Amino acid sequence: MEIYSTILQNKEMIKILYGILISLICTVIVFKSHRLFNLSLHNGIRYFRNAFFFYGLAFFTRYILVHFLNDSNLPVILFEFFIISAGFFLIHSLIWKRTYPIERKYLSSLLSPITLIFYAIALTLVVLDLTWKFYLSMFASQILIFFLASIISYKNYLRRPSKPFPKFYLLAMILSLLAWILNAMAASIFSWNSGVIIDVYILNITVFLLFLFGVIKLTK
Amino acid sequence: MGKKKRERLEVIRDVLKAIQTKKNIKPTRLLYASNLSPQMFKDYINELVEKKFMQIDIDKKEKKTFSLTKKGYDFLQEYKTIENFVENFGL
Repeated sequence: MEIYSTILQNKEMIKILYGILISLICTVIVFKSHRLFNLSLHNGIRYFRNAFFFYGLAFFTRYILVHFLNDSNLPVILFEFFIISAGFFLIHSLIWKRTYPIERKYLSSLLSPITLIFYAIALTLVVLDLTWKFYLSMFASQILIFFLASIISYKNYLRRPSKPFPKFYLLAMILSLLAWILNAMAASIFSWNSGVIIDVYILNITVFLLFLFGVIKLTK
Repeated sequence: MGKKKRERLEVIRDVLKAIQTKKNIKPTRLLYASNLSPQMFKDYINELVEKKFMQIDIDKKEKKTFSLTKKGYDFLQEYKTIENFVENFGL
């Protein structure tokens, strides 16, 4: 409990450190996977990298850039847009083979028809949340995305039980799902209770560290 | 029981390996070696040339042959790492 009160006393500092840590982890993941992507031009790796690029942007905007901008709404809007898009990229990295015939003509994965649809949906959800003055669309979309990602990664785990990382991936997806459910509860039931938010931070850091561990281990 | 369908990455490896084994391989030989249908073969070759993993050469008899580019060689060198990454992350 003492650790919680220490954290609460330094809330703003903890938020910045949290943002820096996750942005850094995402940067390392994007750079570490660059060589493999460059060699293979594999679409799964491409979307996986895009997801972490957008997660990095989201956390950088929400927890670091916010201190340099006067407009308090803009970082929140950008955060929501980046984080929803990142979720779409992450799930798309798992199911890209289904849309590949449409996308193979397009060299940039940041501007292909599928990703333009992602951006359009993300933008619509951001506008809806702005209208409702609540993050309902963001929470609902992320809970749905991580619920689906948990099912897909469970199937992947069953297909390759001998491989070491699929079980970590499954664990990461379940923890992300829990983090988003907890986050939604913090916003709707617990009036952004700091203790619950700290739990969300811990879950998120664990998820990103799991991915970092996997990427470092597999790109050696 | 039927043989497991090859993953995209495995097909690419097999095509590039066939070219590496028999340098300046002719299209028909590569088609046999790659074990693909003619349409699939055409799609893969177009993509691999487009992405600069292999190139089309014209030999002395004005016949088309295929050879690996540096990127193709590098891909084969790192194939195990790429495969491992893709399989572990379920990509």
